[in-house]
Amino acid sequence: MSKKQSIKVQNLVKSFGSGDSRVDIIDGASFEVNKGELVALIAPSGAGKTTLLMMIGCVEEPTSGTIWLGDEKVYENKWLTKETRKIRREKIGFIFQAHYLIPFLNVIENVTLVPQTNGLSTEESEKKAMELLDYFDIGDKAHAKPSELSGGQNQRVAIARALANTPEIILADEPTAALDMERSVGVVKMLKRIAIEQNVAVIMVTHDEAMLPLCDRILKIENKKVISSVVPKGSHLL
Amino acid sequence: MINLAKKDISHTLGKFIVTAMGVGMLLGIVLIMIGVYRGMLVDAEALLKDLSVDVWVVQENTLGPFADASRVPEDLKNTLLAIDGVDKTAALTFQNIQIPTPTKPLRVVALGFDPFGDINAISKERLIKGRGLKRSHYEVVVSDNLGFELGESMNLGRNIYKVVGITHGTVSSGGDPLIYISLKDAQELQFLYSNARIRNDRARGLKGGDAHMVNTIVATIKSGYDVDKVAASIKRWKHKSVYTADEQKDILTKNLIERASKQIGLFTAILVVVSTIIIALIIYTMTLEKMKEISIMKLIGIPNSIIIKMIVQETLLLGFLAFIFGNAFSHLIYSKFPKRVVLELPDAWMLFIVVIIASILSSFIGVKKVISADPAAAIGG
Repeated sequence: MSKKQSIKVQNLVKSFGSGDSRVDIIDGASFEVNKGELVALIAPSGAGKTTLLMMIGCVEEPTSGTIWLGDEKVYENKWLTKETRKIRREKIGFIFQAHYLIPFLNVIENVTLVPQTNGLSTEESEKKAMELLDYFDIGDKAHAKPSELSGGQNQRVAIARALANTPEIILADEPTAALDMERSVGVVKMLKRIAIEQNVAVIMVTHDEAMLPLCDRILKIENKKVISSVVPKGSHLL
Repeated sequence: MINLAKKDISHTLGKFIVTAMGVGMLLGIVLIMIGVYRGMLVDAEALLKDLSVDVWVVQENTLGPFADASRVPEDLKNTLLAIDGVDKTAALTFQNIQIPTPTKPLRVVALGFDPFGDINAISKERLIKGRGLKRSHYEVVVSDNLGFELGESMNLGRNIYKVVGITHGTVSSGGDPLIYISLKDAQELQFLYSNARIRNDRARGLKGGDAHMVNTIVATIKSGYDVDKVAASIKRWKHKSVYTADEQKDILTKNLIERASKQIGLFTAILVVVSTIIIALIIYTMTLEKMKEISIMKLIGIPNSIIIKMIVQETLLLGFLAFIFGNAFSHLIYSKFPKRVVLELPDAWMLFIVVIIASILSSFIGVKKVISADPAAAIGG
């Protein structure tokens, strides 16, 4: 795996069931995502986008294949570590369609939860969280509960949470699905900025073709395999 | 590190407190049940302590006068004095009767004793108003919870009695209020038949009833004498059953209220089990309500230990708060019970330990749910 690569997947297979009832969702997917790259993952509904994302995120166990995250091979026909949750906590930031913030924690607590679990002191984690919240223009909402914020503000908090553990990888599952066009563009541009400024590899699952021109590359699931393609140029969103 | 339990509880504080109050009321009832049992023990011993006698002489082969019916001649009190070691004696009668009180008819126990005898059945510490009995007839000393005032009249049998004294905390072994009357009145009340009955008995060739009977003779033993030996001597020469104060206490606390205490004990155990199940169900429901958040936490990498700590802390706090509410609740209502309820600190501590153990056991069900939560379930839905 080269130094600029952040994610490398080889011959990844995911199937459900066995024997005659076996259904392959992903069959031999191979691709890489580089640091500082924002990659869109597209496919029709039910093609396995979220499943692929969850396998890369060490949530769903593949059937076979190999996954590298950073310079660590985490899966080769079986998990190579028992602590997949530690990998998630230390290397990966998750962003979802909904914000999925913890409702009983306020904004800054939501953002500092993972860094504090990783051993960062309260002061350090709060300092970093405030930097992130200020970066996303929601520093003044640090002590508000998620229920007191708008959908867009919560989504920005969720992105700040995903970045709080200084991840190498961000996995975003349809982060713009619940947003209008203007806010969607704002979120994707934000992800692009993060990818570049923090040298993070970002995979973003999306159904919205209008967001594709903002990405560096497109990964498309076709016939259970992953095909890489370039971004269509000349979009008005660029 | 953020205390998740504290944050979660403060997020739904009202609901948590109301839940703890509900469980607390259940625990309060557990404390009251234990208090009722303790009250029965105290009631059973109250009269024994007031009389402070060393031996109880009753009808042969009976457990009288509390556990069995017992009749012995009154003059036995005099012949007992001839036994070496016997100091003072007194003849006593006990009779369950219903009396008209200022509010409603009540069951009481009438204790008859000789007001001019060597042993006074009315404890000075218990007498809060008026005086003891000073006449052989038609005076009565009553327990304060009957609602009588000094100078008031009361109908007992064929006669009218005047209230001359009021006592506090005087109850029979069964917890009924005590009234004190003279031995002569008590014998008349218990053993003297109506004129019609006497005429009928005479017509049937029966002798008239002997009114000079009592239920027991109590005695104190001179210092330096062994109570057991004197009791054995009385038993041998007088053909009576004799019980020392400790034996009488055993009869009252073990034989007489044993079944009642077992009943209460079983009921208390069931209440504790029910409380445990309710705490477990509440924790399970509280955990179910947080399954989405738990899945999110697992997905973003929060270890099980931190999530389990949250569940266990919440359970323990629920148990602790419920215990506090339970104590407050039981102390608020215990005096409203018609019979004595005794709330003791060691019982409260014992319940506290039981509640904490029950809470820990209850948290297992929530912990199991946490461990089985699928992080992938956080996505979608």
